Amino acid sequence: MQLTLAYHPVNSIGFGERLSLAGTALTVSQEELRAIVLEEALIEAVDFVIAAPNDSLRAGPVFDIVEPRAKAPGASPDWPGILGPPQTAGSGMTHVLTGAAVTMLREDSSGDSRGATGYILEMSGAPAAGSHYSTLQHLIVVPHTRSNIPAAARQRAYRLAQLKIAVRLAQAAFAIAPARTEVFDNSDAETRAGLPRLAYIGQIFSRQRKPEADEHILYGADTDGMLPTLLHPNEWLDGALVPSYHASIGGAESYFYQNHPVILELYRRHQAGEINFIGAVATIASANNFDRERNTRFAANLAKWALRADAAVLTKFGGGVPHTDLSETARLLETMGVKTAVQVTDAARDHKVESALLFNFPEVDAIVCIGGNDTHWKLPQVERVIAANSGLAELLAGPIEIESHNVIGVANQQGASRLRSVVY
Amino acid sequence: MRIVHYLNQFFGGLGGEEHAGTALETRVGAVGPGKVLEQYFGGECQVMTTLICGDNYAVENQDAVIDLALEQIRVAKADLFVAGPCFLAGRYGMAAGALCVAVQNKLHIPAITAMAAENPGADLNREFMYIVDSGDNGAKMREVLARMAALAQKLMRGESIGSPGVEGYLSRGLIRDQFVERSAGQRLVDMVLKKFKGEAFESEMSPTQFASVPLPPAIDLASAKVMLVTDGGLVPKGNPDKIQGSAATRWGVYSIKDCQDLKGADYEISHGGYDPQFVRQDPDRLVPLDVMRDLEREGVIGHLHEEFISTSGLSNPLSNTRRMGREMAVRAKELGIDAIILTST
Repeated sequence: MQLTLAYHPVNSIGFGERLSLAGTALTVSQEELRAIVLEEALIEAVDFVIAAPNDSLRAGPVFDIVEPRAKAPGASPDWPGILGPPQTAGSGMTHVLTGAAVTMLREDSSGDSRGATGYILEMSGAPAAGSHYSTLQHLIVVPHTRSNIPAAARQRAYRLAQLKIAVRLAQAAFAIAPARTEVFDNSDAETRAGLPRLAYIGQIFSRQRKPEADEHILYGADTDGMLPTLLHPNEWLDGALVPSYHASIGGAESYFYQNHPVILELYRRHQAGEINFIGAVATIASANNFDRERNTRFAANLAKWALRADAAVLTKFGGGVPHTDLSETARLLETMGVKTAVQVTDAARDHKVESALLFNFPEVDAIVCIGGNDTHWKLPQVERVIAANSGLAELLAGPIEIESHNVIGVANQQGASRLRSVVY
Repeated sequence: MRIVHYLNQFFGGLGGEEHAGTALETRVGAVGPGKVLEQYFGGECQVMTTLICGDNYAVENQDAVIDLALEQIRVAKADLFVAGPCFLAGRYGMAAGALCVAVQNKLHIPAITAMAAENPGADLNREFMYIVDSGDNGAKMREVLARMAALAQKLMRGESIGSPGVEGYLSRGLIRDQFVERSAGQRLVDMVLKKFKGEAFESEMSPTQFASVPLPPAIDLASAKVMLVTDGGLVPKGNPDKIQGSAATRWGVYSIKDCQDLKGADYEISHGGYDPQFVRQDPDRLVPLDVMRDLEREGVIGHLHEEFISTSGLSNPLSNTRRMGREMAVRAKELGIDAIILTST
């Protein structure tokens, strides 16, 4: 499977009469984009806002962030299973507007464990320095849906509108020579004997929540009843996956499936001739031990027997419970002779090591710990607050005290976080 | 900068174990190790007062010794308090640790000591202060004093303190956040490759080894008074005790007197960490009142206590759950409960 990403850097976004990419300046037509968004019958009206790095601007709560990408004409569908038939992603050419993002807001707070503010996009100040998203040019989409519709239906409309806009923007690059192309292909892994065989095992959902019936997660499937499955690294990068609507247990965005930090690092090492990146397993965190025993064994067996891994790296999705699936999968792999490293989130609200881990297996001793409980920010007032309604705008206006987890990207669980716990 | 230094009878030059009962004494200027310590501060600091106390006296009269020492430190207008190094001397370590913590809390100036990791004073105080790892070899006195001086200077200047391995102190078992250059994904791959190659790697977190809890003696279940306790967040509608859904600091006691079966309409769930729909449908799935009533009727248990206890376990740190657990245990003891069934999610 060979995927070619054609990179078109974008350094500014502006409104204009028609969509165009001139050099690194992307011009978008609000009229055209509005028509695309309003194809979703549940959305009554929409506003667009442009945000650039260092703008005194705060937006939220964020539904999802997507990098503008479009499959070259004749290739597989964009976002298969969501915008097109569920054909295999990850082959052919995809045009990418690097440095740009389509950021969809939501009209209510994600609530629960993420608090009233949900995820905030902060473009300046200390919190911005902790998130990759503050370095991007954003087209912020502010939806206004009809009242009295179920939350899941509203979020489905957000998703479809956001993905369609992201595809449309990248189509501006079709006729333009890319600044750079990069080929993702690991098919030589079987011919390079002697290099360690590395696999990635990533949770794509947690049964701490039930997926909505029509929710798109994997090729448009809601993952209900799903068993761990092989999913080629290129499929992760090229539109097979979006995060759940249940953002409160997330720490995952579409942007970092498209730019998956673990997969990109494994590919980099593969291309450097240091390892054989042999593949990836998509798995689910379970809600009960019966499912957990089955799922963790399926995931470990796929890595050991289908991919014949020497070593594996594992990431989780969601909150506390997924640590048990993560660590049990790693423990099983270690007993099968596969070396592992796992990425966890910091559970220690009292800042004590004894509270930090939700497992204790001697074999699972290589742990990357995303911190966050020790980082709080007092957000100042900013010049522009972008929110879908006046209540949320008032909440976000500041000054406001928030946790690191509330700034989108800071405590990302797909491997993007630069925050770590330090034991002292 | 002005230092007050604490020594035991041995390092203070009074003598050995036969002087362990000596009460706190004060000397002007540096004594013994204090003179070496001054050298490592490069002339910036002077030991104004040395406090010397017998090990037995210090442990047996800890509060009085602390009060006297605090007074002397105030009088000396100290900028820094130093105790030890204590190496493996247990009573010395306990006194030094307690004094340092009291100085930090009451006088708000930096305090530092040094001892071996195995010294009982270390585990009692490491969470609250920096204790330089002295090892157990008293012959390394100069090396240990040098590290104490280096760390003390950083503390006095308010500089950030590096990791235990780099600075040479005993890990406090605490966590702070740091933004780093390499992403979590890169760190993950770095780490697994080192592990695979058999190279040393630094895990960013380590599991805690908890002491095992001995099984209590067996009871006669047929005559036992049993109570139900849950951390799944089941509370009566309206959440009367306002038990927080995440990192709860409170727990509630709710009557199930004369109740045979919990009804979803009467309860709600204050817990954001699991899919609560099944418990909402039937709270007995979390607090198994219905089957406990069966067991009561069948004589398997003596009887079920007329209240259950509930809190939320979500994202709840151990320091907090330990306190709540103790409070619940006290309550159960007062009620004469013989056995508890703890249900989680």
